Amino acid sequence: VTVVRDDIVVSGVALAVPGLAAAGELLGDPRRGDGFDPTSALAGREMRNKDRASRLALWVAEAALRDSGLLGESGTVRGADRTSVVVSSNLGNIDGVCQFTDTIARETSAGLSPLGLPQTSNNVIAGWIAIRHGLRGPNLTVCNGPASGLDAIYWARNLILMGRADAAVVVGVEPAAETVTKLLRAPSGDRVACVVLEQGAAAAARPFVRRRAILKHCGRHANAWAAAAAAACQWAAADDGVGLWLMDASTSSLGQSDSVRELPRWLDIEAHLGPCSGALGVLQCVAGVAYLDQGGPGSVLATIEEPGRGTAATLLLSSATPARMAEPLSRAKSTQ
Amino acid sequence: MTAWDITGVGAVANLGNRADEVFDALCAGRDGRSPLQAFHADKYRVKHAYEILDRREPGRDEPLRASRWLTNVVAQALADASLSEDLSAVPVLVGTTMREQRSVELWWRDGAPFELADLDFAGVLRRRFGAVISYTFANACSASLYALGLASDLIELGVSDTVVVAGTDSITESAFGTMDRVQTETPQELRPFDVSHRGMLMGEGAAAVVLQRSGTGLARARARLRGVGMNCDAHHATAPHPEGIGAAVRAAHDRAGVQPEEIDLVMLHGSGTPRNDQTEARVMTEVFRGVKTSPLMTAIKSMTGHTLGGSGLLSLIMAVAALDRGVVPPVRGLVEPIEEAAGLRLVRDRCAVERMTTAQVNAFGFGGINAVAILEVA
Repeated sequence: VTVVRDDIVVSGVALAVPGLAAAGELLGDPRRGDGFDPTSALAGREMRNKDRASRLALWVAEAALRDSGLLGESGTVRGADRTSVVVSSNLGNIDGVCQFTDTIARETSAGLSPLGLPQTSNNVIAGWIAIRHGLRGPNLTVCNGPASGLDAIYWARNLILMGRADAAVVVGVEPAAETVTKLLRAPSGDRVACVVLEQGAAAAARPFVRRRAILKHCGRHANAWAAAAAAACQWAAADDGVGLWLMDASTSSLGQSDSVRELPRWLDIEAHLGPCSGALGVLQCVAGVAYLDQGGPGSVLATIEEPGRGTAATLLLSSATPARMAEPLSRAKSTQ
Repeated sequence: MTAWDITGVGAVANLGNRADEVFDALCAGRDGRSPLQAFHADKYRVKHAYEILDRREPGRDEPLRASRWLTNVVAQALADASLSEDLSAVPVLVGTTMREQRSVELWWRDGAPFELADLDFAGVLRRRFGAVISYTFANACSASLYALGLASDLIELGVSDTVVVAGTDSITESAFGTMDRVQTETPQELRPFDVSHRGMLMGEGAAAVVLQRSGTGLARARARLRGVGMNCDAHHATAPHPEGIGAAVRAAHDRAGVQPEEIDLVMLHGSGTPRNDQTEARVMTEVFRGVKTSPLMTAIKSMTGHTLGGSGLLSLIMAVAALDRGVVPPVRGLVEPIEEAAGLRLVRDRCAVERMTTAQVNAFGFGGINAVAILEVA
């Protein structure tokens, strides 16, 4: 068993949030057109007889694979045998689970649809993506609370580093549903994002495909500051500073901290979109790549803190093109 | 050759509250079934399950049982490995099919108290063991062997020398009901590889192991993990596929650096559905074709029922005991093997006694996700 030494890069991104058309809109770009519309996007033969989370995930995975250049004209994915699917979702199948119990109470098990069987477990989503594109690498569903999306990126990276896959489709998905709203105690909405990870050399060797961003660091730490400190070791090496900090200011200790004002540009995606649960980490990654695509200076740091659990997850992204220094911390301003 | 030490084990199932109790019950061929307790039997065709009968009020279900068993087996495994119950510096990886979905059902239907934070197992692991870094993987019925493979990767990547790996599941009404609706026949017991097999019956249970970088543990290794292969059929949402399963077995052998003739024992997935049993038997026949002595094979779900996400790790822990004692429990209820299994050395009627050094453990799940582990005597 040998560990891969190459950079892990993000080669494709996509998001599916009602009303948003492009990842840059998460950063405050003006909205273009009507944006993602679930009603039209989730129709069609491939979408039939599947739960909402799976349909959303299928849509976004195809878009990200196309963006990465791995999806051929004929619909086949290059290197499908060695491509993994890693899904982060906490609430994906909860609506189905609750509805099935209602049906049993009313009509006994005879009232259930046999087509509902796959969605009794939340790995249904990753299964459908694998089937749709013939992706035969390890297939993983991470259901790990608020920071699950960053965890999914972490595990996808590990699968590639350990030679278990050459590429990974990482999806964060939470569906809108009444049961989900009740469990969240906040309005639910479709929150979906996808990134494609692969070895840097493989992405660079493909014609017409940019290596969008390099995954410099990811993992779990005691809190967001510790996470930032661990990431700092990496950006010190990159020597370009942090240009954008994606955080969950509404729930983390950072939001209450005076130091936040000292930070470079920072952004709390949930302040705009509401609770994103397992989709948040992947949405942060997509926003970070959009920032780097726009030529934003420095690296992008993402953190999600879970104070109740005494832990935070983190991600550090750098541009794959030569670095531009971020402004010194004292001169930077929030864009909020 | 890279290998990892398994220094502690823990298990609960309908057959017992400790790993050795479960193994002894398997060797005795004990039937772990009982009439359905979790839900009102009049709503289903199937009237039995392999439940853990630990409800405070028999016949009245309660939330967070899967979490309770998880902490139980993790504590067992830590004690077995001579480790303290402080997991603030040890990652915990949990594989599950249902998470705490049964608690969600009780919350939705009966208004039982439940918080979203308890849907996965990070909270309960934090409260009981001070665990800071834990991961819950909903990887269907290969979940705990997937978690085991990912844990071996964490050690290789230098993240930690010690990782706790576990699996746990309680029966959910949504899954029990949908299986009841879908299976053509109405099984009242789980009889893997027998011509009388009628389908899968759910069980409950949890399992845990402590996995350590070779030579770094305090306790003597009970067995050594040689490698885990994992993949996806990318074929069907619920049915198994021979190509994918064959590829997972080959990946496991490659990672472990073993040849088929080195395998002495196979813990089969053996879920008792005609489709699984036929497919698994065909693939095993193919994999071990031409070896001098076929490995012994058994299927513990014939007594534990299908314990879902934790079932792979439960099989693995039973393999650790089997290698250690040189005894393999029989497949309960196996009278006439299906045609596809005719060439397999399935253990029947009573325990087989044999010297063994290497075991293979199969676990296959919905979504076509397969994981196969190889272990050897320490």
